[in-house]
Amino acid sequence: MAEQKVIVVGGGLAGLMATLRIVEKGYKVDLFSLVPVKRSHSLCAQGGINAALDTKGEGDSTWQHFYDTIYGGDFLADQTPVKGMCDNAPGIIYLYDRMGVVFSRTPEGLLDLRLFGGVKKRRTAFAGGTTGQQLLYGLDSQVRKFEALGLVTKYEGWEFLSAVIDEQGICRGIIAQDLSSMEIHSFPADAVVLATGGAGMIYGRSTNSIICTGAAAGRVYQQGVEFANGEFVQFHPTGMLGDDKTRLMSEASRGEGGRVWTYKDGKPWYFLEEWYPAYGNLVPRDIASRAIYKVCVEMGLGIDGKNQVYLDLTHKDPEFLTNRLGGILEIYQQFTGEDPRKVPMKIFPAPHYFMGGIYVDWNHMTGIPGLFAAGECDYMYHGANRLGANSLLSASYSGYVVGPKIIEYIKGLDKSAADIPQHIFEQEKQRQIEIDEAVYKMDGNEDPFLLHEELGDNMMTNVGVVRYNKNLELADAKIQELMERYKNIKLSDTGRWANQTVMFVKQLWHMLELARVIALGALNRNESRGAHYKPDFPERNDEEWLKTTRARWTPDGPKFSYSDVDVSLIEPVKRRYDVAGGGK
Amino acid sequence: MDLEKQHYFIRKLHSMSGVLPIGLFLMEHLIVNSFSMRGPEAYNNAVAVLQSIPFLPVVELLLIAIPIIFHGLYGLWIVYLAKNNVLSYTYYRNWLFYLQRVTAIITLIFVAYHSYTLRIANALFGLEISFNTMTAVLSNPWMMVFYIVGLLASVYHFANGLATFLITWGVTVGPFSQRVAVIVSGLLFISLSYIGIQALFAFI
Amino acid sequence: MPEYIHLKIKRQDGPKEPSRWEEFKIPYKPNMNVVSVLMELRKNPTNAHGQKTTPVVWDCTCLEEVCGACTMLINGKARQACSALIDQLEQPIKLAPLTKFPVIRDLQVDRQVMFEHLKKVKAWVNIDGAFDLGRGPRLSEHDRKVAYQLSRCMTCGCCMEACPNVNSKSDFMGAAPLAQVRLFNIHPLGKMDKNQRLDAIMTKGGITDCGNSQNCVMACPKNVPLTTSIADLNRQTTLYSFARFFNR
Repeated sequence: MAEQKVIVVGGGLAGLMATLRIVEKGYKVDLFSLVPVKRSHSLCAQGGINAALDTKGEGDSTWQHFYDTIYGGDFLADQTPVKGMCDNAPGIIYLYDRMGVVFSRTPEGLLDLRLFGGVKKRRTAFAGGTTGQQLLYGLDSQVRKFEALGLVTKYEGWEFLSAVIDEQGICRGIIAQDLSSMEIHSFPADAVVLATGGAGMIYGRSTNSIICTGAAAGRVYQQGVEFANGEFVQFHPTGMLGDDKTRLMSEASRGEGGRVWTYKDGKPWYFLEEWYPAYGNLVPRDIASRAIYKVCVEMGLGIDGKNQVYLDLTHKDPEFLTNRLGGILEIYQQFTGEDPRKVPMKIFPAPHYFMGGIYVDWNHMTGIPGLFAAGECDYMYHGANRLGANSLLSASYSGYVVGPKIIEYIKGLDKSAADIPQHIFEQEKQRQIEIDEAVYKMDGNEDPFLLHEELGDNMMTNVGVVRYNKNLELADAKIQELMERYKNIKLSDTGRWANQTVMFVKQLWHMLELARVIALGALNRNESRGAHYKPDFPERNDEEWLKTTRARWTPDGPKFSYSDVDVSLIEPVKRRYDVAGGGK
Repeated sequence: MDLEKQHYFIRKLHSMSGVLPIGLFLMEHLIVNSFSMRGPEAYNNAVAVLQSIPFLPVVELLLIAIPIIFHGLYGLWIVYLAKNNVLSYTYYRNWLFYLQRVTAIITLIFVAYHSYTLRIANALFGLEISFNTMTAVLSNPWMMVFYIVGLLASVYHFANGLATFLITWGVTVGPFSQRVAVIVSGLLFISLSYIGIQALFAFI
Repeated sequence: MPEYIHLKIKRQDGPKEPSRWEEFKIPYKPNMNVVSVLMELRKNPTNAHGQKTTPVVWDCTCLEEVCGACTMLINGKARQACSALIDQLEQPIKLAPLTKFPVIRDLQVDRQVMFEHLKKVKAWVNIDGAFDLGRGPRLSEHDRKVAYQLSRCMTCGCCMEACPNVNSKSDFMGAAPLAQVRLFNIHPLGKMDKNQRLDAIMTKGGITDCGNSQNCVMACPKNVPLTTSIADLNRQTTLYSFARFFNR
């Protein structure tokens, strides 16, 4: 059999970790990324990464980490893989530490930990206020070592267009497009892992980078891969609204003592502390977002009558803040012109993270053999709500496990990608070229960027923090309308070199496809669980809905099925954060 | 010799040669010249002492001529490699950098002319080096201006070069010590310029 | 308050195409930045003379000034477009691609050379493998602080753009990869390969090609102590070069 090769799509934490774990076993990897991998969206994670290192003498344990994660996710996550993640977390942090990631330190030179939402023990390792950046740079440097050795070939500035699937339904490679030359090529591989991140762009302005369109996930979804738990979209409680994007103010700011308040009867009102005395400002994100939403939208108590409340750090020592939160305070200051050490920050919830994603088995393989998914683009670790600082962990861990699982898979193959007839690749490539050419011919009167804006507004209004069935129906109708109007797009740039508009038009379609999965998934789920909240169905309903949502693409829209959740280790209990011991 | 392989050594040699021996020689030269302020006799005596150094031509060749030629010619290459941008990036250190290159060219022209018309003419045609010779040269006002410009350029190039020398050899590492070095080099520039100009004017 | 935002954008259709300036006028909104203006522009790409044109091509990813992608010349200075607030810029705002890197299209440039430099200087820790080997080495808070300043370099290219010694005539790698050498030479495990990294920068295009204009440290948006790092590496290489010679 010819030399075996793996393709990794995506150069964030999950993709780079997977790459490392594969190449260090001697296999070659072709690494595809829209941007130079060092500019991947993992950069934007700020606050930290969770692991029960217990360097604070608090008696923390991996079991407690596991429990908090399951409980925080409102019991929707499969428990066995989550336990694997929490058990491996300390080892992963130590690995990063050895790579040279500049974690903040205790006086003894050990890894410092801070408090994060939804937990009682300090468990979050961090590197100032730019933890994601530091972890990404660590992995990037390691992958570069293997690139220099010739084991990794990077295709930076390439977009994944589709998986190549042979007659037996096995994934044998990918089709990708060079964003400069616009050329479309096929790349054979024995296994493909998608580590393509979230899809915040579906909501227009989110905390995500503009490359987080979910297009890759949307593409394989249309090729037959299931998309799971799409309706669970995390709104980060502390975003700062901007014209081009909603910038994130890390949960670490609450972890380090930040207080959320607004004025009521002319006096500061610390509503989180009042409503949730046990956890105060450190309730999980879904709870905090709903509370802020309630205060602003339902009670009309936003600061200056707008949808915003204060996040206040001014009572803390400026030197301490600079040391612990440097990086994120700078961002706030840079973009608003106000110093958060002196003036409370103004914040409002913003779309932030997709708990849902590509449906995979516990080996991270999708329904198509040979096609794997890892990182935010899979659905596995966070259930109905993700705890802060668990995303860098799940991205790292899923890359960490998918690597060896892929090697196991390709060792069991009876023929390699090189043995697959050329016409299989040629056929899929032609299909992509035709899609491309069709876009070039679009000559209607709709602007793709304005359509995208309408999609974002629609999702924000109708599929947001608080959901009503009639609005969800409206949302889906609107998406279908946009899909109709999509066909009538006018292409403002027909150039054949570095044409960003053509690429965006193609991505937009996949955003629309996934938007339907989100809206209809939300419509179907008549309960409230984690980030999915319906006032008309305010309680969690385990009897009917302790189930993973699985959407399958059909020409007539998503078809949903539901499967049981693994609750083999912890018995589901009611989730509450207002009383001590709620989270055990 | 593989120049690529010796790149580090050549660059370091270039940096070192600017201070030792060229910088040292410059200071010595300016101090000896300043004897002109004590009158023709003192000056001529000082010159005579220098000229009595044993193996003078060898010393001059090894410690002055070769280092200057190497520093000057390799320096020209370094000047050529820079693409100056003081108009876009107007930081003072960028100006110092730019002036270092401007003064490099001026100094090179000046030194070539100066050494040809005096030292080499002395060797080839037996031109006598004395107070009167200098008076004759400097009584031409254009020549005086040329000499002042040449003096200021060489002194600047040396003084500022000394500050960057300290960075290049890893002596001044932090921003504070580097700032102190710039101030000291500024004072050195002022004092050496003062001495030099006084000496020049003493000839006429 | 101005009615519109006046832009002059240097455009180029491809690497070998000629460049031209095109003017745009965008209705003014408060709190805009250069990226949001460019986004506005692409919705209806019409220049100041009312002619239809193609959307301006530029790179951007995070919009939070951590990815470094949107670096361009804004009124002649290299900086990130996302953090360039319109209200703080003199109009007409001139946007041009970085000049020290090959242009791909319009404001988009190819900075691959920066990653090649990181390869050249071996900017990584040589770990035994990506698996759990227990606790990493301890690091003092002092070293942590120094290292963190260096590790925030986002490979944006501002230092190279501002450096007079980085240009098509010279091979100088610029300040960014040098700071990474210092970073990895601080790390307790990275230190083990310290001399290999010093060897890598003691070559043509390496540390000696710095001319101390110190523009890099002024241009760096993340305040990476670039000149201190260069001087520190000067010390490291000086000591190492003596050791290398006299130990032979």
